[in-house]
Amino acid sequence: MAEPAYTVASDSETTGEGKSSSAFPEIAIGIDIGTSQCSVAIWNGSQVELLKNTRNQKLMRSYVTFKDEIPSGGVSNQLSHEHEMLSGAAIFNMKRLIGRVDTDPVVHASKNLPFLVQTLDIGVRPFIAALVNNVWRSTTPEEVLAIFLVELRIMAEIQLKRPIRNVVLSIPVSLSRFQLTRIERACAMAGLHVLRLMPEPTAVALLYAQQQQQMIHDNMGSGSEKIALVFNMGAGYCDVVVTATAGGVSQIKALAGSATGGEDLLQNMMRHLLPNSEKLFSSHSINEIKSMGLLRVATQDAIHKLSFQESVQIDVDLGNGTRICKVVNREEFEEVNQKIFEKCESVTIQCLHDAKVEIDDLTDVIVVGGCSYIPKIRNLVKSVCKREELYKGMNPLEAAVCGAALEGAVASGISDPFGSLDLLTIQATALGIGIRANGNTLVPIIPRNTTMPARKELIFTTVHDSQTDVLIVVYEGEAEKAEDNHLLGYFKIMGIPPAPKGVPEINVCMDIDASNVLRVLAGVILPGSQQPVVPVMEVRMPTVDDGHGWCAEALHRAYGSTLDVVTVQKKI
Amino acid sequence: MYKTRKLWTPVSTVIRRARPTTCRLTPYSPNSQIQSLPSQLETSSRVPPRYGSHFLANLKISSKTYCSQPAVKIDTTTKRCWNCDAFADGTAPFLYCDFCRSIQPVDFSIDYFQIFGLEKGYEIEVDGLEGKYKDWQKKLHPDLVHSKSEKEREYAAEQSARVIDAYRTLSKPLSRAIYALRLEGVDVDEEQTVSDPELLTEIMEIREAVEEAPDSHTLNQIQSEMKEKLEESSNSFANAYQSRNFDEAVTCIQRMTYYQRASEEITKKL
Ligand SMILES: [Zn+2]
Repeated sequence: MAEPAYTVASDSETTGEGKSSSAFPEIAIGIDIGTSQCSVAIWNGSQVELLKNTRNQKLMRSYVTFKDEIPSGGVSNQLSHEHEMLSGAAIFNMKRLIGRVDTDPVVHASKNLPFLVQTLDIGVRPFIAALVNNVWRSTTPEEVLAIFLVELRIMAEIQLKRPIRNVVLSIPVSLSRFQLTRIERACAMAGLHVLRLMPEPTAVALLYAQQQQQMIHDNMGSGSEKIALVFNMGAGYCDVVVTATAGGVSQIKALAGSATGGEDLLQNMMRHLLPNSEKLFSSHSINEIKSMGLLRVATQDAIHKLSFQESVQIDVDLGNGTRICKVVNREEFEEVNQKIFEKCESVTIQCLHDAKVEIDDLTDVIVVGGCSYIPKIRNLVKSVCKREELYKGMNPLEAAVCGAALEGAVASGISDPFGSLDLLTIQATALGIGIRANGNTLVPIIPRNTTMPARKELIFTTVHDSQTDVLIVVYEGEAEKAEDNHLLGYFKIMGIPPAPKGVPEINVCMDIDASNVLRVLAGVILPGSQQPVVPVMEVRMPTVDDGHGWCAEALHRAYGSTLDVVTVQKKI
Repeated sequence: MYKTRKLWTPVSTVIRRARPTTCRLTPYSPNSQIQSLPSQLETSSRVPPRYGSHFLANLKISSKTYCSQPAVKIDTTTKRCWNCDAFADGTAPFLYCDFCRSIQPVDFSIDYFQIFGLEKGYEIEVDGLEGKYKDWQKKLHPDLVHSKSEKEREYAAEQSARVIDAYRTLSKPLSRAIYALRLEGVDVDEEQTVSDPELLTEIMEIREAVEEAPDSHTLNQIQSEMKEKLEESSNSFANAYQSRNFDEAVTCIQRMTYYQRASEEITKKL
């Protein structure tokens, strides 16, 4: 499927360090693409500065509207009213949709949005379309993101009076490597080169590290190691990291994340106010979309108010004969979303557990992101971390983009005479990577929270006598069942000399280099031989394209267990 | 977690040596087996493999040229910076030149303890490791050298990865014990079948107890028992290592390995 061209400079998906030949390094800008809002920042020589659009906004709505000849996004477009975004012509929440297949529950949850998200439930990419003059005009999340990024780029170029190419993008923790390639593709379409993709809470952790350095510089803090938990929740994702920082160097101890966000809170609340709402809006007619938009705005408004008051009066006429007139209190809101809050809690607990950090050792607990205003969110983090107070030194809506901008400056090789950029973040892997083995299990080779760069290997063997070929299927994720994880790619090792099952030793080695590029290497050895019996395979992953859910099933149908591998069992 | 055997050294060695960017395995060196250990504790490389150069030369895994030269033999007294030719001042292991701030090629004669400025030994102050680890990363991490030459960026990737390995190895008692023994020329095969009948009986008993545990309270109890035993074996290891009774030390490691695994398994159940 050809991607429509929007000032597409390159279709390459390279992630490597782009060497700029200029003697004066270009400072990369930091971009935080939120599910609902988005911002751009840059190191201005002495500090991080957020860029503003022509309407003097630092935070811009993340959407693209197709109502005119040329699509326009939330950077340049002036919404006459919130409802315009919900008219069917605008696409938003692309960060939740990008790189997902139509069997993904997150995609299914998006079917209640006012534009069209159509699924066939076979593991291909969903069909997404905007309503323009009563015609569904198809698009893709990549295209929408690219259009939006072009606007951001133009905005930054006008203000900084220079071309912009290098960017550091903050991303959710739970995105798979496949999804990241889609984000890189969107950047390439927008003429941007991704210098680094940084998990959002890691970017916040970098800002924290800089603030701690600053305090030492101002003789206000001690130079000892500080351990912080960062909880970041926006409209689309809930992410947590534990970082240990000293002398400007931060080690990410653990990361955890989930595609759980304000959008889920909103949808649960909409269902609560109008129990059969999904059914009512299923055909996406103009009138239905209008009603859905009205309900969405009213609910959003109510949730917002509930952060600051105990109860709220909702009174909205959906225009289709339904009028919702109801007082909702905070307790009700919390009950309706109990599962969401439990998920946030478990993500936090898991991160603390993985970091092997005692609660008492936490110097600071930081809660940021759009959902950080919700009292229940703040309270649940406080209670897990047994804290009375949360860290106060950051703007919750700007922390991630500021961190991304700092990383942009550091990664561009900029130094600061006052040592403000004397920073380093040692990253860890957010998701485990392994292969399908022992039937249908994911056997991790690089577990999550492994410090990068990383290289690990495991030995597998054949399951049939005289099995000459084996299929190596690489997945990323934490689920035990292989298919419940993100498929990254697959390849065969062929021509293994006939041997009884269990004899050939298949070494699968995974390597993540300093630029976060994943390579999978596999070689086969037979006892008595010192050298691989067939050439070693080296595959840069991910190799899958769209429709990978379907792929995995097709592989299974075609080969069954004939090309399977199992782990070599330990003896104890 | 899974078995890695010496048989595997060849392929992993080939793979490592062919991938210079994050090459972490010591290129083999003819003079000792100890030299091949810094690589990975999870891969026991008991017999350093030798290959005809044709084999390596034929293996073009990536488009990058790979480094096939064996570990550069460096006389510690005359270490000099590859970039500015300055002599190492000898106060710290020479991973980095303080004069011209360039990162040096990996020198495998520097062991993990030396990297952290420690005397070789099992009982070390673990609390001090993280600070030194970070100090090194600030000088060596590949993120900080992107404006430098391709060659130096590769040194950065290798050095930084080695410091990560060193930190990981020394910060945990079991991997530290195995490493300390390897430096003495004693290789421990973690996967070796347990032959000590006393330990075997104990393993059976613990396994039964875990399987039959009626609730999480009991599991917790067994786990704290495992942790106690781990501590005990760790102390016995320290003594055995101190008195250079390496047979006893190996037995202690087997016990530590088992108790740790049991403890991990209980955690999974909890
Ligand atoms: Zn020098």
